[in-house]
Amino acid sequence: MDRQTLGKRGEDLAAEYLEGLGWRVVERRWRCAAGEVDLVAVEPGERPVTVFCEVKTRSGLGFGEPLEAITRAKMARLRILAAQWMRERHPRTMSRVDGIGILLRPGWDPLITHVRGIS
Amino acid sequence: MSLAIATSIGLIGVRGVPIEIEAAIGGGLPRTILVGLPDTALYEARDRCRAAVASSGLAWPAQLVTINLSPASLPKTGSHYDVGIVAAVLAASGVVPAELLPATVFLGELGLDGRLRPVRGLLPALLGARAAGLVRAIVPMPQVGEASLVEGMTVWGARSLADMVEILHGRPVPVSAVSAEDTAPAPENAAPGKDLADVSGQPDARWALEVAAAGRHHVFFHGAPGAGKTLLAERLPGILPELGLGEALEVTAIRSLAGLAVEGLSRRPPLSSPHHSASVASLVGGGPRMPMPGAISVAHRGVLFLDEAPEFSPRALEALRVPLESGEVTLSRAAGQVTYPARFQLVLAANPCPCGYATTPGSECRCTPLTIRRYAERLSGPILDRIDIQQQLRPLRRAYLTDERAEPSAAVAERVRLARERQGWRLAGTPWSTNGEVPGAHLRRDLAPREGTDVLDRAVSRGQLSARGVDKVLRVAWTLCDLAGRDQPSGSDVRTALLMRLGHELSSAV
Repeated sequence: MDRQTLGKRGEDLAAEYLEGLGWRVVERRWRCAAGEVDLVAVEPGERPVTVFCEVKTRSGLGFGEPLEAITRAKMARLRILAAQWMRERHPRTMSRVDGIGILLRPGWDPLITHVRGIS
Repeated sequence: MSLAIATSIGLIGVRGVPIEIEAAIGGGLPRTILVGLPDTALYEARDRCRAAVASSGLAWPAQLVTINLSPASLPKTGSHYDVGIVAAVLAASGVVPAELLPATVFLGELGLDGRLRPVRGLLPALLGARAAGLVRAIVPMPQVGEASLVEGMTVWGARSLADMVEILHGRPVPVSAVSAEDTAPAPENAAPGKDLADVSGQPDARWALEVAAAGRHHVFFHGAPGAGKTLLAERLPGILPELGLGEALEVTAIRSLAGLAVEGLSRRPPLSSPHHSASVASLVGGGPRMPMPGAISVAHRGVLFLDEAPEFSPRALEALRVPLESGEVTLSRAAGQVTYPARFQLVLAANPCPCGYATTPGSECRCTPLTIRRYAERLSGPILDRIDIQQQLRPLRRAYLTDERAEPSAAVAERVRLARERQGWRLAGTPWSTNGEVPGAHLRRDLAPREGTDVLDRAVSRGQLSARGVDKVLRVAWTLCDLAGRDQPSGSDVRTALLMRLGHELSSAV
């Protein structure tokens, strides 16, 4: 599996996982001049929240945990992208940025780590 | 969010203060942060600990790990917190049970392979831990001997993190066979080959050394090169009485802090002989943030020997004046103030002039009178004024070398011990234990000699002796009478003491 397919497979798994939680995925790989958001989903509830998800997929632990790859610079960019998206679509909800780490070791079940509110 | 607390010790001088290491796991992206005023070496603990845990086959939590060292206001320094940090993190992540964490103190630096490395200041740290009510300790295996000097604590030696995990699970750790043998207290006579029997001739100087040892007097040897000044001074610790348990612990604690090897408790008074190029900081102690003990503290309860004393920088020598009076040294830094004990006996040795032969009859000194005076003036009045005994050594004559073997240290040490016993009885109920420490007021009021005061009066009226000088002479006179086993210094004791103080020839040469 090359890098693109691994990333794509991870995003598919993450979307499946979020839908399993009852969330509605509203956007995948949303792009603008500032960059790309992997997943945008809406967490239902009394006050729904628009959640911007950064998905990190790894095929092993040789380079550390998947979520460790989210740097400060990446988080800053995610905040800018989230603001941009909210300006364009202006949904009447709060927003949040989450991190989803996926470990796809060959021969193992995928391991999903979900950290809410990373920035 | 899960939390665990382990305890380690921070050192402020020789005082150990408990430091709580809190580890909280959860609530963010995987990252490890260390807060609570750590210095650079301590901040690196984070990376050392992670690597050590990984190479021990354990998992570092893949979550936000916050490690806090409290009290957060106390500046913390050093690498000995590693083991405590890992213990707290492993307990918080549930790898080890937390039952043993309270009342256990963790000390040790970690290698990247998970090995526990020895740390500086283990002994004072454990003494502080015991005083704070901690009853168990996990220390690096090589330092079990040092740790066992602290009575009343259960000490576990760990070679590696794996050992520590076993201990915290309450499982026994195989003790390597060597540890019991290696950690036996060091043999008491720790200065082999340094016996007074090796010193040929010099009966006067040997006697001066004995008096200095008996009364704990500061002494100044001067004379031609090769006369045996260094030889004699190095043998002083060998004739001093052994240290008491409390004193020996103080001495060993400072050795441990200074990073010197500690193999059990040595009852022999220490000898510290810094080279004359010594800086002020290396002599009295120094360094940024938390200053380290210097040579004068390593000489605490023992002997500070300054060979070639005029070659020391004037600043270094003058720095000795306050510790000589107070028996301790206080070093102040922006981060705090540290006091190290420094109750040492000073031994100075010097040549009479740069070429060394000014006082040797029959040899040609190449120095001009001005050079000789300049050389002598490098030892300032305030320093020389604190010296009780000045002794000149003459070059050896052939006849001395054919002498039968001189008296060994053990015989001299026995006389010194008896003299110290007499001082102990006389000074019972006072804060002092030797003649050298008794302040002048007490000396003149309660211990004035019945004979020989007329000699002192004459010396003072001639300007040979200052008021402080009178006290010095009286102290040495008492020591002479203690060595002779008399109850009161005789007129002869006072006269001898006066001669020792004036140092025969130096007073006329300078």
